Amino acid sequence: MFNPDINDYQLTSIVSECCGGIAVVYSAVHKPDNQNVAIKRYFVDKSREKANLIQQDILTRKELHHQNILPYLTSFVHGQELYVVSPLMELGSCRDILDRYFQEGLPELACAIILRDVLLALQYLHKQFYVHRSVRASHVLLDTQGNVRLSGLRSAASMMLRGRRQKHLHSLPPPDHDNANLMWLSPELLEQNLKGYDEQSDIYSLGILCCELANGAVPFSEVPTTLMFTEKVRGNRPQLLDCSSFPEPLDDGEMKSMYNTDSGVGDSAEGMCRVRLVYARRKLSDAFHRLTDSALHRDPEKRPSASQLLNHAFFKQIRRTDFLPSLIGRVKPIKPDHCDISALLLEEKLSDMEIEKTEEWDF
Amino acid sequence: MDPRMCRKISSSESLPDVDNEEFEVSNIIAPQESEDNFLLEGSPEPQTVTWLDDDQIDDLNLDQTNLFFHRVDSADIIYRSKKKKCKLVGKYVMGDILGEGSYGKVKEMLDSETLCRRAVKILKKRKLRRIPNGEQNVQREIQLLQILRHKNVIELVDVMYNDEKQKMYLVMEFCVGVLQDMLESSPGKKFPQHQAHEYFTQLLDGLEYLHGQGVVHKDIKPGNLLLTLDQTLKITDFGVAEALDMFSPQDTCYTGQGSPAFQPPEIANGAETFSGTKVDIWSSGVTLYNMTTGRYPFEGDNVYRLLEAIGRAEPVPPPACVGSSLSALLVHMLKRDPDLRPTVQQIRRHDWVRSIPPLGPGERIALRVRAGVLHRERSETRVGRRRAKGRWHSSCGRLPSCRLT
Repeated sequence: MFNPDINDYQLTSIVSECCGGIAVVYSAVHKPDNQNVAIKRYFVDKSREKANLIQQDILTRKELHHQNILPYLTSFVHGQELYVVSPLMELGSCRDILDRYFQEGLPELACAIILRDVLLALQYLHKQFYVHRSVRASHVLLDTQGNVRLSGLRSAASMMLRGRRQKHLHSLPPPDHDNANLMWLSPELLEQNLKGYDEQSDIYSLGILCCELANGAVPFSEVPTTLMFTEKVRGNRPQLLDCSSFPEPLDDGEMKSMYNTDSGVGDSAEGMCRVRLVYARRKLSDAFHRLTDSALHRDPEKRPSASQLLNHAFFKQIRRTDFLPSLIGRVKPIKPDHCDISALLLEEKLSDMEIEKTEEWDF
Repeated sequence: MDPRMCRKISSSESLPDVDNEEFEVSNIIAPQESEDNFLLEGSPEPQTVTWLDDDQIDDLNLDQTNLFFHRVDSADIIYRSKKKKCKLVGKYVMGDILGEGSYGKVKEMLDSETLCRRAVKILKKRKLRRIPNGEQNVQREIQLLQILRHKNVIELVDVMYNDEKQKMYLVMEFCVGVLQDMLESSPGKKFPQHQAHEYFTQLLDGLEYLHGQGVVHKDIKPGNLLLTLDQTLKITDFGVAEALDMFSPQDTCYTGQGSPAFQPPEIANGAETFSGTKVDIWSSGVTLYNMTTGRYPFEGDNVYRLLEAIGRAEPVPPPACVGSSLSALLVHMLKRDPDLRPTVQQIRRHDWVRSIPPLGPGERIALRVRAGVLHRERSETRVGRRRAKGRWHSSCGRLPSCRLT
C-alpha cells in the first residue's frame, strides 16, 4: 500500500501549479512498486483560510469510492508542506487538452464518453447526498487507459447536516482565487434566495461542461461576471456551436457578442478564424443539442437527473470498442522519467521563484 | 426620448440647457443627496412632494434671487422614462433598501466579483454626531466585529469610507430576516417551542463564544437577532458591546446602554458596577420569554414605569401553557441576584435545552420573511420597500447613553 512517508516517493517533474499558487502538482514514482503517482504539495501556511478546505477535500475523498472519482491514496506532512498522493492521470485535465490540442472542441464521440463517465460520478455523488458544485473541464482528468475521473471535491457540499438530510443548500461554494468557478454554477445557486439549490445544480454545470467540451471555450467567459449572472437568471441558455447554431457568414461585431476562443493559441486572429470556420462547417448530433439544452433548463425541477441523463439517446452512440485515448490521439501523455532527476534539481532552484501558471490541473 | 414616464421638465438634469433663470426654482425640491436620488428613481409617484429632512434643508443652497414659485402647466410637463442606473460602491452593486436604523440605512448589495449577496450598513457622519456616543459606538463595533468569527455572530466583511460624502459603509453577511419581525407576524406574536428552541440554542452557541472571547453584548433582543437563508441565527449590533479587561478575573462593567425592556434589575436600579455576562443572560431570558409567550416579563406604560417594574424584579410568571421545564428555566435566568443566574454552560445542561420540544398539535413553524426575497430580480419589491422601513429599528428605542437611574 502507499505509505505516508516522503522517502517512498521520488518526485520527477512538475505537472502544474494550482489553487492560485498554494499548491503544486508533481508527477512522482512510488519506489516500492515503481508505480507512477501524482503528488499535490500544498503550502498550507500561505493561506490559513484554505487549510480547512484542504482538510474537507481529503475527508470527502476518503469517504467516496467510485471508478470515476479521483481516488485518494494517502497524505502526509513533510517539513512545512502537506502532500496528497493520487494516481497519475497522464493525459491531464480536459481543460489542458482543449487549450493545447483542441481549441475548437473535442470530437463528439469523445465528449459522449467523457460526459457519460462524469454523469456516472455525479449519479454516485448524488446518491451519497453530495453536491459537487464545481463540475468543469479542469476537474475532469483522463489517463492513458481510457479512465475518466472527476476531481475538485474541495468545493463539494454534503446535504447531510447533523445527521439529517437537508432538502436545499443555500451557501455559495468557497471562492476560488479568480472566481472563475462562477461560470459553471447554476442560476438558482447564484441567486442565493430562500429556495436554495440541490443536486440538480450539478446538472446545470454539466450542461456548461457540454458546451465547454464541444466548443472549446466556456460560455460567458467573455462577459463580466454580473452580466453572466443576469443572463443565467433570465434563462438564457448557452448552445453548442455548429452549422445549426452558428451560420458561416459572420461579421466581427456579431462574433464578439458570442463565445470567443480566448484561451491559449486561439487568441491570435488567424486561429480565431480557423475555429469559427470549424464551428460553421461541423454538425453535432441533435441528441447532443437536446441533452445540453435539457441540462441547462432554468428550472431545476425540469432538468433531468443524472440517472435519467445516462439513459439519454446521446450516449447510445458509444460502442464498447471505443477507446477514448485513441479518439484524442494527438494528446501526448505526461511521461515521468525515472532516471531523470533534472526536473527536481530545477525545482529546487525554482523554489524561490514565482512559477508562471501555465495550465489548470486541479485535483 | 420616450415620452411616457415621469420626469419633470424642470428637474435638475435638464437645467443646463435652459437659459431662463426661473427654472432653477425647482431645484429646491429636487433631492440633493445622490443617495436619495437613487431611491426615487423609477418610483411610481412622480408628482408627489418630496419632503426634506433637516439635513437636506441645510444642504440646499437657497439663493434668494430665485425664491419664487414658478408655475408649470401640467400639459407642459414632459415625461420620459428614466433608466435604472446601476450604482457601484467599490466592487459592490447597491440594491434595495432592507431597513433603516437611527444611524442610517441598511441596503442589500451584490459583490460584483464573487456574486455574493451582502448587506451594508450605511452610516452618515452627520447623523452619527447627533446620537450620543454614536461615533465611539461605531468604532467599537467595527473593532469588535473584526476580531469575532463565529457561525452565530454576524460577520463584518468589509469597511469602506467615503470622505467626500462623509459616509461609512459596513459590509456584512446577508440575512433575510430579523427575529423581531418574524415574531410580529407570527400568530400570538410567539413561536412554537420547537422553533424557539432552535433559535435559543443558536443564541447560546453565539453567546458562549462571545463570553469566551471576553465580549459582553449588552443588547440581546429579538431585534438584534438575524436569520440567514439557511436559518442560521446571527447576533448583530455590537454598538454597545464591550470587550472585558483580559487581565481582570471579574467581568465588571460600568455602563449599560441597551434597550430598556431587556435590561436587568441591577442596571434599572442604577448600580455603579455589575457583572457583564449576567446582563446577557438576563436579556437572553427576556428574549426566550418573549419568543415563547409573545409577552414581556416586565411591562410599564413608559420607560420609567418599566424600569421601576424591572427594578422590583418580580416578573409576570410565564403562563402555565409553557410547561414546567421552560418555566423553571425562565425563572432561573430572570433571578434578581446576578450571581444566582446560570451561566451559558449551565443553561445548556437544562432539561428544556437538552431535549428538543416536539411540535405541538396545530403548531406550525412560523416562517415569514420579507416578500420579494424570493424574486430579487423583479422590481415589484420596491412597492414593499416603504413598508420595510424601520425593519431593523429596534421596537423599543435605545436609551440615551447615560447610565440608567
